Amino acid sequence: MNIGGWLFLIFGWGVVIFLVFYCMKKVFEKEAKFK
Amino acid sequence: MNIRQRWATRIGLILAMAGNAVGLGNFLRFPVQAAKNGGGAFMIPYFISLFLLGIPLMWVEWSIGRYGGKFGHGTAPGMFDKLWKNPVAKYLGVIGLAGPIAIILYYNYIESWTLGYAIHSLLGKLPRVPQGADLERINEVFGTFLSGYVGFSNDSSLFLRPSFFAYIIFLITLLINIFILARGISGGIETFARFAMPTLFLFAIILVIRVLTLGSPVDPEVSVLDGLGFLWNPDFSSLFNPNVWLAAAGQIFFTLSVGMGAILTYASYLREKDDVALSGLSTASLNEFAEVVLGGSIAIPAAVAFFGLVNAKNIAVSGAFNLAFVSVPAIFSFLPLGFVFGFLWFGLLFFAGITSSLALTQPAIAFLEDEFNIKRKWAVIGVGIFIFFFSHIPIFIKGALDELDFWVGTFFITFFALCEAIIFIWIFGPDKAWEEINKGADIKIPKIFYFILKYVTPLILIVIFIAWIFQNFGTVLKEPSPGKWIARMFLFLFFVFTCIMVRIAFKKEKRS
Repeated sequence: MNIGGWLFLIFGWGVVIFLVFYCMKKVFEKEAKFK
Repeated sequence: MNIRQRWATRIGLILAMAGNAVGLGNFLRFPVQAAKNGGGAFMIPYFISLFLLGIPLMWVEWSIGRYGGKFGHGTAPGMFDKLWKNPVAKYLGVIGLAGPIAIILYYNYIESWTLGYAIHSLLGKLPRVPQGADLERINEVFGTFLSGYVGFSNDSSLFLRPSFFAYIIFLITLLINIFILARGISGGIETFARFAMPTLFLFAIILVIRVLTLGSPVDPEVSVLDGLGFLWNPDFSSLFNPNVWLAAAGQIFFTLSVGMGAILTYASYLREKDDVALSGLSTASLNEFAEVVLGGSIAIPAAVAFFGLVNAKNIAVSGAFNLAFVSVPAIFSFLPLGFVFGFLWFGLLFFAGITSSLALTQPAIAFLEDEFNIKRKWAVIGVGIFIFFFSHIPIFIKGALDELDFWVGTFFITFFALCEAIIFIWIFGPDKAWEEINKGADIKIPKIFYFILKYVTPLILIVIFIAWIFQNFGTVLKEPSPGKWIARMFLFLFFVFTCIMVRIAFKKEKRS
């Protein structure tokens, strides 16, 4: 795998993992407040 | 009138929605599309499509569903009728009601193959080939096994002759679906999703770890990193190819399971002021995690590590079924404890499949409950009997499965998504649509999405739809066969039947 491949892998995984963490954090925050 | 059910928890709802979106395509279609369309560079049009098409459509469907649920409608005909006071609206909605149930006629059967293969794998009954066997030999051994399982032969016979085991497993799969659905929204679908989705992610993570630690299993010159490179090394010239952009938009569209009517029905069980903005985004994010991180790190990297780049390319273009049921089980058969990894692979595909099939069956059940006041138990039994009878078309008639998939799994869902976007954004009104999406929102949606929803998303859908017709229509219509005509006739009659049911339901509603 070349350097471009690594950069795109980090970019792709990074975007997705960021989105999941951002959403789940918000969901659990709101759920806790609601309770 | 039946009292409408509700989701018990937000996380349960998100997992059920994610279960609907995560399907076989995440693990099979995505890596093939990425490898074929510019590797890492594919992620640029892919993420752009996610933000311009996928996420906005998610919000549109969640909002239409919640809006329709407010009036006691759990399916598209009733929802469209409330959004657009025109007699045509409810008949356009028929696509979002008949479509998913037509998909389920073959989807349940394919789902049952994954369960059948998982059992075969666990019992060590899948075929084995010695490590180092060439691809031709593997295709012959595993391909013959698959043909025997589904009863496919190259002769001119109209009928397929699936194995007795395949048929029994299909019945068991259907019964599992019916059992879960009969227990209701929160007691059945939500409870199951809370177990199935974490299990699916766990199975996938174990497989990713196993694949990424394969090293160089056959040729010291070729490692699993070359497999990742095959998927991620960017080819920037592909960015100037419109087909790559079309492939990326198509992948986003299909992976999120929009345009099927299932999200509408699930969202109709929300309360009027429940959030849809954060929940819709969370669903899309979980689906993307399953696709980009997990789906991209199992089948193709393992295929490159064992068979080399040239053969992996051939595997990639040979299609999703070949990858799932021929190449991957062959790869796992080479590994110590291969039967366990084979079981995990087919187990994860089964969970991905069943969480989607539950979502696809629910609209028909909701229609009977909401529009005809039929008790859930009887609605589930009625829909179950219908699925049982008409599933025999794709199970036993050659060519019917592909034909059904062409019309209801591709053509109608693209058309239906276009109808949703136009009815909700343009006819219902962009300002009212924006207000509806933001009602009760737990996140602030950037204002730029107003512009995207109004112009960009519908435009992309129109382009996908037209391009897709040009690419596929000629080929499909040029290849007539009795099996395909039986499938087409069935679909035509089924859509007419559903239109009549909708007409009866609305006459009843007017009278009351």
